[in-house]
Amino acid sequence: MGSQLALKSRIASTGSLEKIFNAQEMIAASHIAQAREVAMNAKPYTDAIFDAVQTLVAHSHIKHPIAQSNEDNPHVAVLSLTADRGMAGAYTSSILRETEDLLNRLEAKGKKPQLYVYGRRGVTYYKYRNRDLAQTWEGDTEKPGVEVADAISRALLNAYMKPEEEGGVSELYIVYTEFINMVVQKVRVLRMLPVQIVEAEHGEAGPTTTEQMETALPLYAFEPSLEEVLDVVLPKYVRSRIHECLLEAAASEVACRQNAMHTATDNARSLIEDLTRKLNASRQASITQELTEIIGSADALSNKEE
Amino acid sequence: MSAATMNVNIVASDHPVWSGEAKSVTIPAYSGGMGILPGHEPVLTVIREGDLVVVDPEGTKHSFEVTDGFISFDSNKLTVVIESARSISNQTVEETGL
Repeated sequence: MGSQLALKSRIASTGSLEKIFNAQEMIAASHIAQAREVAMNAKPYTDAIFDAVQTLVAHSHIKHPIAQSNEDNPHVAVLSLTADRGMAGAYTSSILRETEDLLNRLEAKGKKPQLYVYGRRGVTYYKYRNRDLAQTWEGDTEKPGVEVADAISRALLNAYMKPEEEGGVSELYIVYTEFINMVVQKVRVLRMLPVQIVEAEHGEAGPTTTEQMETALPLYAFEPSLEEVLDVVLPKYVRSRIHECLLEAAASEVACRQNAMHTATDNARSLIEDLTRKLNASRQASITQELTEIIGSADALSNKEE
Repeated sequence: MSAATMNVNIVASDHPVWSGEAKSVTIPAYSGGMGILPGHEPVLTVIREGDLVVVDPEGTKHSFEVTDGFISFDSNKLTVVIESARSISNQTVEETGL
């Protein structure tokens, strides 16, 4: 039975931890609302770009470097979306595990992956292990704005458009956490570049595809020319897809953090309960002992008097 | 055609800017200003930085300073996709003498 003082101080420290966890949980809950707002605000733009790309696809067989693969170049880019802060359970570690898996798979296929990392936790993980990182970004992983998405997509598109000799890459994979609901988030690997627009059309648009094709049937005029429209629209499309990934990763991060903090609060509470029980038992034991001592000595005294 | 309107939807990369019915829209197209009236042929055009003016059915002018992007017009629905936009002024056309 531990000393009462030690137990008391443990209860106090666990109590203050519980308060911190509880506060973190509340903060995460409020960030969810913010993340949802950012996502809602970006949605019309994403939809508009998606529609425009659909139109372009319906009207022409797209011949643009962004949509065409170059099998000869073994260099590929991998972007891994991690968190800025910890306290989010297994969020960053599952991303890192999946990233390692992907890198191994790519290397087995004879590719030469370059690693891009977003999020302070991921960056420190790789820096500590002295890994070569092509480029890193930090900050705002909980509510990634357009600026971050712009910086990331610009860097990656640059790498993609460069010829092989200058360090260009032929493919881009994104490892991020898909937000399914508040309780379930799944790590996913997405091949972003070269863009597979036709596949996206079948996969994502689903049953509305035929409808969209019909509405897109009138002949479009492209100004100044189809090529230039593609030059403008496709990079924007890639950027909005990357932004979508960032937003989804942010929502997952916040949800993970809220879940982790909820569990931690519960654990702290049950720990406090356990410790309080131990403290009571130990106090009771010491009282019983004192009583035994007093009664024992009183007995001894009265025995003497007789 | 005079009473005809079209559906206009202006979206910037981080937030929706303006949406509603309009009588006419002037956009800073790639090759200079371009006016779009209801029933225009389907078009997808790159736009440059400049001023975008929307005239709504009440005759109020909504002006926006926009960055580069593109517009698409199809089935009487105009979608303006830009990086960012700033509303400059709302003025009634009648007041300006038009």
